[in-house]
Amino acid sequence: MSDMNALTAESPVLQPAPPGGAGKSRSLAADAWHDLRRSKIFWAALVLIVIVLLMAAWPSLFTSADPHDCVLSRKHAGASGSAIFGYDFQGCDVYAKTVYGARYSIVVGVFSTLIAGLIGLAVGLSAGYFGGWLDALLSRFVDVMLGVPFLLAAIVLGKRLASNPENSNGVLAVTLTLGILGWTTAARVMRSSVITAKNQDYVAAARMLGAGSGRLIFRHILPNSIAPYVVVLTILLGINIASEATLSFLGVGLRGDAVSWGISISEATGYVRVAPGPLIWPSVFLAATVLAFIMLGDAVRDAFDPKLR
Amino acid sequence: MFRFIVRRLLQMVLTFFGATFLVYALMFAVQDDPIQALVGERPITDSQRAALTERYHLNDSFFQQYWYYVKGLLTGDLGTSLTGRKIADMLADAWPVTLRLTLIAIVIAATIAIVAGVISAIRRGSIFDNATLFVTLIVLAMPIVVLAPLAQLIFGIKLGWFPPTAGKDANLYELLLPAAVLASLVVATELRVTRASVAENLRADYVRTARAKGLRRGRVIGVHVLRNSLIPVITLIGVDIGALMSGAIVTEKVFNIPGVGFNLFRGIRTEDGPLVVGFVSVLVIVFLVLNLIVDLLYAVLDPRIRYE
Amino acid sequence: MRGNGPWKMAAGVAAIALLAAGCSSGSSDDDETLPNTISIGIAEPESLIPTNTTEANGSQVLSSLFYPLVRFDEKSTPYTVAAESITHDKANKVWTVRLRSGFTFSNGEPVTADNYINAWNYGAYGPNAQLASYFFSRIDGYAQMQSVDPDGDGPEKAEQPKAKKLTGLRKLNSTTFTVTLSAGFAGWESVMGYDAFLPLPKAAFAGDGVLAESYGEAPIGNGPFKIKGKWQHDSQIQVEKVADFKGTVPKVDGITWKIYQDVGAAYADLVAGNLDVQTKIPIESLASASGDLGDRLQKSPSSSFSFVGFPIYEKEFQSRDVRRALSMAINREEMTEQIFLGSESPATSFVSPVVEGYKPNTCGENCEYNPTKAKQLYTAANGPRDIKITYNTDGGHKAWVDAMCNQIKASLGVNCTGVGEPKFADLLKKVEKKQSVGLIRLGWLMDYPLMENYLGPLYSTDGSSNYYGYSNPAFDSLVAEGSAAPTTAAAEKKWQEAEAILANDMPVIPLRFGQNVFGHSEKVTNVTMDLFQKVDIYKIEIAD
Repeated sequence: MSDMNALTAESPVLQPAPPGGAGKSRSLAADAWHDLRRSKIFWAALVLIVIVLLMAAWPSLFTSADPHDCVLSRKHAGASGSAIFGYDFQGCDVYAKTVYGARYSIVVGVFSTLIAGLIGLAVGLSAGYFGGWLDALLSRFVDVMLGVPFLLAAIVLGKRLASNPENSNGVLAVTLTLGILGWTTAARVMRSSVITAKNQDYVAAARMLGAGSGRLIFRHILPNSIAPYVVVLTILLGINIASEATLSFLGVGLRGDAVSWGISISEATGYVRVAPGPLIWPSVFLAATVLAFIMLGDAVRDAFDPKLR
Repeated sequence: MFRFIVRRLLQMVLTFFGATFLVYALMFAVQDDPIQALVGERPITDSQRAALTERYHLNDSFFQQYWYYVKGLLTGDLGTSLTGRKIADMLADAWPVTLRLTLIAIVIAATIAIVAGVISAIRRGSIFDNATLFVTLIVLAMPIVVLAPLAQLIFGIKLGWFPPTAGKDANLYELLLPAAVLASLVVATELRVTRASVAENLRADYVRTARAKGLRRGRVIGVHVLRNSLIPVITLIGVDIGALMSGAIVTEKVFNIPGVGFNLFRGIRTEDGPLVVGFVSVLVIVFLVLNLIVDLLYAVLDPRIRYE
Repeated sequence: MRGNGPWKMAAGVAAIALLAAGCSSGSSDDDETLPNTISIGIAEPESLIPTNTTEANGSQVLSSLFYPLVRFDEKSTPYTVAAESITHDKANKVWTVRLRSGFTFSNGEPVTADNYINAWNYGAYGPNAQLASYFFSRIDGYAQMQSVDPDGDGPEKAEQPKAKKLTGLRKLNSTTFTVTLSAGFAGWESVMGYDAFLPLPKAAFAGDGVLAESYGEAPIGNGPFKIKGKWQHDSQIQVEKVADFKGTVPKVDGITWKIYQDVGAAYADLVAGNLDVQTKIPIESLASASGDLGDRLQKSPSSSFSFVGFPIYEKEFQSRDVRRALSMAINREEMTEQIFLGSESPATSFVSPVVEGYKPNTCGENCEYNPTKAKQLYTAANGPRDIKITYNTDGGHKAWVDAMCNQIKASLGVNCTGVGEPKFADLLKKVEKKQSVGLIRLGWLMDYPLMENYLGPLYSTDGSSNYYGYSNPAFDSLVAEGSAAPTTAAAEKKWQEAEAILANDMPVIPLRFGQNVFGHSEKVTNVTMDLFQKVDIYKIEIAD
């Protein structure tokens, strides 16, 4: 117990934030940008992400081959011509499939993470900050959501949405499933760091100085508690891109002739002993993309976190 | 503290019924033709269909069906699966092995995550930090549908270090490989959160103070920093235990473990409402108890947090 | 005072967790296996009650617990086993079954005619909802045992059926009974080889026509093995030899039916030597299987038949030329070679080669790969620009459906998409609601080795598995004439004529005939599998 008392006793009293914020010093965002500009990791991640996004938006920039042009007679054939990664067990061009696979993988990963992130932020922040009955209600809601099996939600959404021909490829259903069920971790992590942050002295100080809830949340608590949340979210993006593969494997993922890294990976897994290529290449692209988003998340977080100044 | 626990227990009852209601509703929404699903590709005669429909109340409205379920539950009867087995028996068969699997997995994950996370945080930017980042990302980016069969192929068949499948009465050794695969699902997140949290606390004023007081670096990190960094990690572990119990569908399938994930998968597949709701009910109770424990741990780790 | 609290706590939690994990698993020690015992991999059976068993896993276990009336030789001709003789009248209508004397159930009860009659009555009675109940539909009095729901799926409850017993079953003495069919059928002896026709001991019943609840968990049979303990769901079923069994005595002392959720897991165990026989090697593992198993990888004929059907309501496929063109656009050899690695063979007939009366290549030109002619026909008939093939994703069909689509695309220059539904019931639902499904993936395993078992259920107007709604009165009457024919040879002639109609109408596209592709460990030898995808438990033995 002694160390905690020591901590509170010896902590320097926080200076109240200068009214109006901007004044003499740069704003938080400007500060962050100043830092980011000089970070090599940030630039490396950004370049990678731009490439992947380009691939997702205009795959024909990267390959002239058609990922749906598959001929059984060249099953597992080696690299030739434009097919620099060789052919898979259906005789499809692995390079073309990997390039075209970026679109749905990115769409599913990014949008489901956005949905999960927004819900998680709102729920975690309000539960942690306001506490009391709201916390109880929201936390129990998280528990209820945790009880819903992913597979069940995926099947229900898949069935309901597939009746509309526009959604028959399953992209919307998979995105919504991962988004609607994936926010619970983010929310709980957010809530716990908000609880920690709001008990800090500077928050008490700011409150005593008359700061309102909005100001407390967005200027003091959020910047100090967002770090674990950003980490969870960037990793969630990776998990969601990979989860699409698992859902496809279980038969409730993308449908029809949709091409995605997840589908390519789960299809190639069975043949890994005879032809590892079709498994390795989409995995490499998937890993690189996930890596880029996580590096970006790290860099941004470091830049924005006032405690790391 | 006592009042806090009592209040939470009361909330649990409501949450429990909320969750079973939601899952029952979802199962009802997904139920098209459970009788055909039960027999697979076999044809079914009208008279069989009539008999089975009546036996399992499949014609009744949603609320009637849910009422039957709650009524059974209150009298201690969890109902009967559409395969004719008592759900209580199925739960008793499936839970022990899943519990063992999850516990081993979470111990593996938490140990790796906390140890490697702390070291990475202390030596940010070092080779160790970058190497763990890279390895965990590779593991993270590999869908479990790839990882599980590959692990089985390499460690179970090629190298022969572990038995390739575990089965229902698996012992600790047989469960190690599937548990390690399962742990890979959560180790990356836990490691990154530990690292971020520890790194942040290392810069805190109290660390400087403690160091200035002449405390050894090991003690500062092991006691002060770690305790203050563990809250988000514990939270995550709590959630992960629950997620692993229900989310082990692929792992349980590959390693032939007839546990909770497998039963949920089968129940959802065959539109077996009572089966799914029965398993989810127990899962929800586990989540609720875990959350309570995690929340109580907050107070242990950070004395400034008080429950009343 | 809380010194290194977190560490201690973590260590404590970890220790407790590991202890809990380690301790509670002591129960696996008691199934010490005998040296002369083997393990065979199956999936979880749906039921072990004979009249409720319609799939290979349950049937496989029953084959060890029960001794059937007839078994089949290599040419699918029935020979009597538990029956002394099976005779019939001229019209094939009244069949007399005489049982071998001296046989007992594993609980000591003698096997009598009553055991058969009671079991069959139980199976046929509608409200018991036994899955194999349709096997009894040829017996006199079956219709009176079924209830009809007055309003389909509505709330009104079905009335109780008029009768509880089959009028066609009559006991002559303790070991003889007669079966009267509602119409003569030359192939009835073959039908009686199915599991639904196994006897049940008195101990199985809790009352008249009521099965004891526990029976299905530990069935007592008249076979060479008896169950050890109970059915351990999702884990295993152990059976051990019955002392002084009167019939053919198997060469092994016990069998452990190991239950697997996934064929991949079973294959891993087979390669690692933890499983003695796997009855179905997964397709993905086939490429490496010959290296893993050598000559322990084996193949034998099976009755499986894979095809795609054209639902009658899909207007665009109503032109016969469109159906023919699609069939000609498919390269069956390439598909069986590249996707199935030779484990299945191209189908160019409408019944499997394993039944008597099968003629090769009845489909003729229509099933020959001919992209040029296919395209001509297709263009002339103005076939649709977009083709869909709907399949269920839980059966490993995606690979070949995709390949088939690619072939159609290449041959006809149209667009083709494989549409996956989570399970077969979802596919059927769509067909029932007349939603657009395109071609539908279907398959068939025979119940008894007669041509009629393909023609009747799959293509006749009221066939139980005719999901696409094909109907041709000429075909129906030929099948019926065959069934009523005095000898099986005469029947086959009629059935062959019926098949010729199919070849002309092309209601489905035949794709592949399956094989049993199985493997075994070095511990066992003489492993054979029959047409019903079951291991012959009488022949298998331990290798020296």
